[in-house]
Amino acid sequence: MSRFLKIGVSLAALAISTATGALADDVLKIGFAGGFTGYLAPYDQPTLQGIELAVDEINNAGGIDGKLKIEVITRDMRSEIAQSAVMAQELIDQGINVMLAPCDVDPAVAAGQIAQGAGIPTIAPCASTPTLPGIVGDYMFANYTADNLQGTALADFAIQQGYKNALILISKDTPYTEKLPGYFAKVFEAKGGKLADAVEFKMGQQDFSAEVTKIKQLNPAPDVIMTAAYEPDFPAFIKQLRSAGIATPVLGSDGIDSPTTLALGEIAEGVVFANAGFPSAGSPLAKFNDAFKAHFGQESSTVYTATGYDVIKIVEAAVKATGGKTDGASLREAIDNLENVPVATGTITYKGMNRVPLRVVALNRIVGGQKTHVADVTPNGADVPPAE
Amino acid sequence: MALSTYLVPSAAKSAVALCLVVALPCLAIHVAFTGPLVTTITNFLVMLTAVAALGVFAGNSGILSFGHCAFMALGAQISATLTIAPAMKKSAFPLLPDFILQNQLGLVLALLVTMILVGTVAWAIGLAICRLNGSSASISTLGLLIIVESLIVAAQGYTRGNQAVYGVQKLINIPTALALALLAIAVARLFRDSRPGLLLRAGRENEAAAQSVGIDVPRQRLTAWVVSAMLSAMAGAMMAHFLTVFSPKQFYFDLTFAIIVMQVVGGMASVTGAVAGAVLVTALIEVLRRFENGLDLGFMQVPQIFGVTQVGLSLIIIVTLYRRREGLLGFAEIENFWPALRRVIGGAPIGGTPAAASPAPAGELAVEGVTKAYGGLVAVDQVNLTLRTGEILGLIGPNGSGKTTLLGCIAGTHAPTAGKVRIDQTEITGHPPYVVARLGIGRTFQNIRLFTNLTALENVMAALAQRHSAIPRQELESRALDLLGELKIAELAGRTAGTLAYGQQRRLEIARALALEPRFMLLDEPAAGMNESETNDLLGILAWLVKERGLGLLIVDHDMQLIMRLCQRIAVLNKGQLIALGTPAEVQRNPAVREAYLGRRHAEKMIA
Repeated sequence: MSRFLKIGVSLAALAISTATGALADDVLKIGFAGGFTGYLAPYDQPTLQGIELAVDEINNAGGIDGKLKIEVITRDMRSEIAQSAVMAQELIDQGINVMLAPCDVDPAVAAGQIAQGAGIPTIAPCASTPTLPGIVGDYMFANYTADNLQGTALADFAIQQGYKNALILISKDTPYTEKLPGYFAKVFEAKGGKLADAVEFKMGQQDFSAEVTKIKQLNPAPDVIMTAAYEPDFPAFIKQLRSAGIATPVLGSDGIDSPTTLALGEIAEGVVFANAGFPSAGSPLAKFNDAFKAHFGQESSTVYTATGYDVIKIVEAAVKATGGKTDGASLREAIDNLENVPVATGTITYKGMNRVPLRVVALNRIVGGQKTHVADVTPNGADVPPAE
Repeated sequence: MALSTYLVPSAAKSAVALCLVVALPCLAIHVAFTGPLVTTITNFLVMLTAVAALGVFAGNSGILSFGHCAFMALGAQISATLTIAPAMKKSAFPLLPDFILQNQLGLVLALLVTMILVGTVAWAIGLAICRLNGSSASISTLGLLIIVESLIVAAQGYTRGNQAVYGVQKLINIPTALALALLAIAVARLFRDSRPGLLLRAGRENEAAAQSVGIDVPRQRLTAWVVSAMLSAMAGAMMAHFLTVFSPKQFYFDLTFAIIVMQVVGGMASVTGAVAGAVLVTALIEVLRRFENGLDLGFMQVPQIFGVTQVGLSLIIIVTLYRRREGLLGFAEIENFWPALRRVIGGAPIGGTPAAASPAPAGELAVEGVTKAYGGLVAVDQVNLTLRTGEILGLIGPNGSGKTTLLGCIAGTHAPTAGKVRIDQTEITGHPPYVVARLGIGRTFQNIRLFTNLTALENVMAALAQRHSAIPRQELESRALDLLGELKIAELAGRTAGTLAYGQQRRLEIARALALEPRFMLLDEPAAGMNESETNDLLGILAWLVKERGLGLLIVDHDMQLIMRLCQRIAVLNKGQLIALGTPAEVQRNPAVREAYLGRRHAEKMIA
């Protein structure tokens, strides 16, 4: 048998498998056009694990409401915008009811626009740019803690700690490192705080001596420093800040929720940062982590597994709310009106939030190289600055 | 100026054929399919445009550019700014002046404005980049990419900074993408064979040889750079209006490499190769990614494995480069595979005998006190020489005596430290080699330097096209054939220069130099590596050059017999100094010459 024949057979098998793929009915089809290779893989792969776990749990219990099973179809958009649109179209042609978009805003927009045109609701499991749903339209929903929500939670905490004078460290290289501290500053000032300065850095610059000197020379000295810098910038910054003898408290964002930060030891002691949830004993997140370990045989490595799990819980709640209807319009309406849906990271509310969910923001403090729980904050929706 | 200098009929035919090959399947898909395939094909057309655009510069100049994504980024940015609705523009780009904010252009007008603006920017940048050669040019294009990306991010207010530009209208679908892609392919294909394309390809093959026939290589590069930047800007604009959302990071390394991969796989120096590369890579991705979703082979179940596409693609690129370094198509265009498109050149009888060229007007090439010093080392020391038209002057001397340096000082490749060189009353020192060539000095090189991957005909045509900027294509070809005929190699016109035998290559090099209509010719060891019959052959040609064409020849050679037989006068250099000048017999008797060649004791012995 020649190798061409073998290839021919495989291709034929492939054609048959794709042709028969769309036959089964009576399932809720969720399509995930994720970046499973490329720069989005560290986010979209764990998200997919969380999704898998939630779907398994629901299907093992007989499906949503005990009757409607879920099928997840995945397509790798290879972290490319154009491919995001291609895969989204392919998923829609497979008859999906709900689309899940990649973890970055640009490809999420590309996928969302295709689904918007087809009247299929899209949820972005971990893209955090709050403008995303507004860009695409009324069928696009965010899921992850939006940057403005996180900024608000951190500002609330700063005010509550009695800080008066805040400095933000920003980088214009990404919206996350620029806008998140911006949202923080807005809320902080609105609630009576004062912005001492906004110091800028370039991502990957290694040497922070200029920034540290600038901070040291400020008079009056800031009583808190807030930044959305993450690896490798955050470790470099805080090392140089502390070795310059500046002991000012530092607030960080979920970008530093990683083992690297904990491994910084004494230097990172006392740093407070926000993330999507803290697994305190008996909390839903702790339960999720246990279930994750039981299912995959290893610890959940990041919170994106939990937020991936959350997305499926949102879809489940929406289907229940429609009374089992799975058409795009009914699902869209249902998601838009969800309130206090219990999920792995706490609860989620979409009602009145313009499709950017109100969810718990957990505050963590690093003590002795361990994350300790400070508080779970659900900011007042009215305090959250508009997305820009 | 004849239109056919730019629009070569054979290239136009090739372009039309290539466009048809691309257009027909795309149109069929447009009519018959909906769904993801439509997006894939549109994306393919956008990429194809980008690859063809890059090829105009990289393919013809031989310099790989990493910077063309910068032009795509600018194209996307500028065109989107023009087409976005005014209401949306105000919030997205608050700092832009009112007349931009209040106006909205359609796709065609927006493309035109974008391409003109980007072309201007490219021209300014190209003034610097096009002066560089090889890898330093490539690296500077990399710098361009980084600088433009940073500028777009920094210009927040005029741009969206690091954030996504959204709300761009979807104006690119298969028909519009196809029309623009065909435009890019046609321009690229026509450019390749046009006068600037031909001159640039000559420069790509051998810059020193190109200069020796008067080609100003950086200037030709600049033309290609601007054309290619404008087409890249168009590709960027297409991408923006196809995806409807983009941010600066999208036009960065990943896209750069995706485009370069297509170009390298297909064949960088060929427009057909660009098409083949884009088709092949797109098709492979489409096949591979289906395997990635897992499949049921009947006897076994292949699970879903992410990354198959990337791994498979990378392997195929490695294999392609390993087996065919020039890419799948190398230098071939579509007509090489499609005989009906091919025109027979060479061998065809030419009407009548070639018009005998009128002999060069009499005059002299004078070297006056030329000195060339490298630090303390004086390679050429105050040399005075005169070469008259119609004469053969031999230049000999032991190894390292400064012969080649002196030749370089005349040809303009070396700037003399002191002294001057003039033709009649015109001083030629201080001019770059291509200007010296245009002033009437042709040359051949010690190790033959042809435009290896061009045909014999194109080798001569490049020199002719440089000399006569506006003669019609047909006349250019027939004059080139005449020259090949004069050197008895007309039947080889269609052969690639690199495949010719050694003696034929030397003849071609001389034919090419003659295209300049020089009055003087410098020949650096023309007989090196030749056997006796080839040498005799060459002697005949050289004698003909002098007798019929009236040229003045300056010949450097080690073959003493050849020099003695051929030259009326011989100049002898030793340690940079002219130690003898006279007839062969005089020079042979000169004790200083004997000493230089044989050493003092030998020389004394021989005289005694």
